[in-house]
Amino acid sequence: MKKRMFIVLALVATLVVGLSAQKKLTVWCWDPNFNVYAMKQAAAVYNKTHPKVTIEIVDMAQDIEAKIISGLQAGGAGLPDIALFQDFRIEQFLHDYPKAFVDLKAAGVDYSKFAAYKVGPMTVGDHVYGIPFDTGSTGLWLRTDYMKAAGLNPDDYMGKDLTWSDVIKLGETVKAKTGKPLLAYQSDNFDMLRIVVQSTGGQFFKPDGSLDLHSLAFEKSLALFKELNDKGLLYPVVGWSDWINAINSDKSAGFLNAIWMVGSVKSRPANAGKYMIIPTPRIEGVPGAANASNNGGSSWYVFSSSPNKARAVDFLKSVWATDTPDNEAFYNEILKGAGAMGTFLPCQTGSNYTAPDDFFYKSQPIYKDFAAWMKDVPVLRYTPNYVPMRDAVAHATLGYFQGKYKTIDETISAAEAEYKQVMGQ
Amino acid sequence: MSVTRRWSAGRILVILILALAAVISVFPFYWMIVGTTLNPNDVLRGILVPGRDFVSNWLQAVKNYNLPLFFFNSLKIAVLTVVFGLVVNGLAAFGFEKYPSKARDKVFGVLLLTLIIPQIALVIPMFRMFAFFDLLNTHAAIILPSIMSVFIIFFMRQNFKMFPTEIMEAARVDGAGEFSIFVRIVTPSMQATYASAAIYLFLGQWNSYLWPLITILTDTKKTLPIAMASMMNAYTIEYGALMVIVCISVLPVLVLFLSMQKQFVAGLLGSVK
Amino acid sequence: MEKRGIYQRYLNRFGWFCVAPAMAFFTLFMLYPILSSLYYVTRRWKGMSNTFIGLGNFVRMAHDTIFQDALAHNFFFLVIQVPLMIFLALMLATLLNQGIKRFRGAVRLAIFLPAVTSLVVVSVLFRVLLQTNGLLNNIMIQAHLITTPIGWLTDAFWAKITIILAMTWRWTGYNMVFFLVGLQSIDTEIYEAAEVDGASKVRQFFTITIPLLVPVILFSAVTSTSGTMQLFDEPNILTWQGGPANATMTAALYIYRQAFFVNADFGYATAMSYVVVLISGIFAFVQMRLLGERRAK
Repeated sequence: MKKRMFIVLALVATLVVGLSAQKKLTVWCWDPNFNVYAMKQAAAVYNKTHPKVTIEIVDMAQDIEAKIISGLQAGGAGLPDIALFQDFRIEQFLHDYPKAFVDLKAAGVDYSKFAAYKVGPMTVGDHVYGIPFDTGSTGLWLRTDYMKAAGLNPDDYMGKDLTWSDVIKLGETVKAKTGKPLLAYQSDNFDMLRIVVQSTGGQFFKPDGSLDLHSLAFEKSLALFKELNDKGLLYPVVGWSDWINAINSDKSAGFLNAIWMVGSVKSRPANAGKYMIIPTPRIEGVPGAANASNNGGSSWYVFSSSPNKARAVDFLKSVWATDTPDNEAFYNEILKGAGAMGTFLPCQTGSNYTAPDDFFYKSQPIYKDFAAWMKDVPVLRYTPNYVPMRDAVAHATLGYFQGKYKTIDETISAAEAEYKQVMGQ
Repeated sequence: MSVTRRWSAGRILVILILALAAVISVFPFYWMIVGTTLNPNDVLRGILVPGRDFVSNWLQAVKNYNLPLFFFNSLKIAVLTVVFGLVVNGLAAFGFEKYPSKARDKVFGVLLLTLIIPQIALVIPMFRMFAFFDLLNTHAAIILPSIMSVFIIFFMRQNFKMFPTEIMEAARVDGAGEFSIFVRIVTPSMQATYASAAIYLFLGQWNSYLWPLITILTDTKKTLPIAMASMMNAYTIEYGALMVIVCISVLPVLVLFLSMQKQFVAGLLGSVK
Repeated sequence: MEKRGIYQRYLNRFGWFCVAPAMAFFTLFMLYPILSSLYYVTRRWKGMSNTFIGLGNFVRMAHDTIFQDALAHNFFFLVIQVPLMIFLALMLATLLNQGIKRFRGAVRLAIFLPAVTSLVVVSVLFRVLLQTNGLLNNIMIQAHLITTPIGWLTDAFWAKITIILAMTWRWTGYNMVFFLVGLQSIDTEIYEAAEVDGASKVRQFFTITIPLLVPVILFSAVTSTSGTMQLFDEPNILTWQGGPANATMTAALYIYRQAFFVNADFGYATAMSYVVVLISGIFAFVQMRLLGERRAK
């Protein structure tokens, strides 16, 4: 009797162990129209050769970093095997939690095949921790239907390197005729300001990592934003999803953001044929300013607390970092499907990289354009303290818009003060 | 009573004010129900007539957001908190009230003192403690700290005061043990008190946000408030499905309220937040 | 005599047995956190490591205007919202009690209804209703009350009003029920006498109702104050992480963000929570004293 019981127990135990050891990987990322989509495609590619591995992709929305911080503090509790990190955020994590991530260079990833600027933020000494995902090459997205309604010919603007004064003129015309502000704008968000400052080649930090906001680039950018705001060319909202919503419910005649907006714009069929994307406008009077910039961009990391890290590394390596026809087709697919432009150089040769896209005005070959602009983007220094800087600058800028700070100098001082306070300096 | 008196300007004003207050109070409920039938864009624009997306919103809430699981998680956590909470706090209130001792009164005084401590001051050490015991991201982490409630002990103790000690004495004479006096004689006659305490505990847990926000890390452990909050944090908000989840999270409380108004109000009046 | 002593000891032991489970929970989830916070408060966290900095966290706080502003926002909500809500609740209770007979129960039920929603639900609903192109702005524009939409969520000033609106909606009916109970204990003869003396209803409200309800009002104020000092759900969800630009940042939210969202700075967050406890304690003490004085009379 006892023996039989023991056998049953042993069977149950093996079954339980077997089930829990079932090949499952969990991935955290954050945007169903973008990186969640891309990772699902990657999982499908991996499943062709590894049919028994289940890859669960979880949309963690904007809580992802908070949950990761809590999980790391708890010694890995609740953490997934793989997570996506913003390039601007990872330096903080590598700095604060040096043992939390698997060294992928040691695991044999060849980083010479990735865009060099992506590898910088994920490198600490001889260790490299991530698999680069996408680029955030930016452009000015314009609604050609509103331009036409305002009596403008979109073709006159197509592919033109505009200055911001040209854009303000354009915006004033559109606003006067259609009532639509030119740009949907997240009023306490940093993205647009970053795009403009980066386009000038400006930096927020000195090479030694200390804050530096007293630059011509930053001051000019602030002045530009104030002008856009005062002329009613911004449609302000709070929060990412409300911003997307403003765009997809025709509240503005355009926006300034990166290639990865393709997914969100395409998620609304009524946008078909309406958008064209022109180079990021250039700011006048700043030497070195370019008609190109970057926003976002993220990369995949494996947690060292993961019991499945070998498999997780294998998955990332074999789909995202190996040059095979399947992978090339995959990179090609996510480019058109979601605007996810990979940074694995051998796979940047797919047909979609040059093909026209019927969803856009006059079938603009937008990927070709974004890729071309990418080459001119000045590199931005992130440092582990990017987030406190970002928040401080965004908050001060809104204060400037709403009259709390009267001058640019006051605004910069306020941003510096908040940065110091949050940093505890 | 003359007609002019009945419809004086003052009276009309009173009726108008009350009607306005009632409409403002009820309107968001109406709007939230209509919202379950609209597409996300119409929810945002504030359309007030029902649309056609009820089924698709519902399906989305169930499939994409796992509404049944969130509901079950919330219910499980709230019910377990109520069950353990009634036992632990009821017993403690009984002990404090019916077995008077100076030492226990001092302890009770210490308990009352901690009522002024806001939750935010406790969450950091508690987070570290649960992390240490490897209990983060479990429902136990949500249930355990909310079982003992100083307020509920206080509230129940006040009510136990009204239970005549003579009845206990009589039972003792009949040979009943203390524990069986509590279980068989005292508890059954305090049903109203227990009901109010249960409602208070249930509401507190069903609606709790800060502590679950800190301890829940993964999707499958989420409660309804956490699910709603993280939907609001998403890169694309599905407002229709969100409205379905909002309705589902309000519904049990509404039913509880309408069916047990008296205990409900007694439970709420007690809730010193 | 001896036997009686044994019996008393037995009863006493049973008393301890009754309170033991509650004491165990209390020790684990109240006493231990309070005691261990004494350790955290002296430390500075950075990632997984931390160092002793003595009172350094308090020094930092003295220069942290975000935290000071957050406390100021708590006070702002307290000073505006609590009296506004109590006045509305009192007025509605009085009107309900004296103004109408028919539909009284239904109206009371309707006004109380918001109290069944959680703060998360309130925040979600108001966040959607108060969009720049949302329902409330649309209604107000159509009614020609405003010409351009109000930035309920995007403007630093209006966002604070938004929080106050949401709190008032959620809690007015709840407090009204307190006052209705209080009103029932007032002898109607007092009003009849005032009526004979020719006092107007408004005058009666200020000279009879309010003074007689002071204990209930104070109690209501105590609970509302405590709730306002802990304000968290609304600024985190409704106005989006204390936005715009920290305009609705509250102490509890800032503590949470320092400990669990932006960093894991447990030391600094604990130090800030000490200040919140201290302030809550002072408020509770003052209000209890006021309440006690009334009772003594």
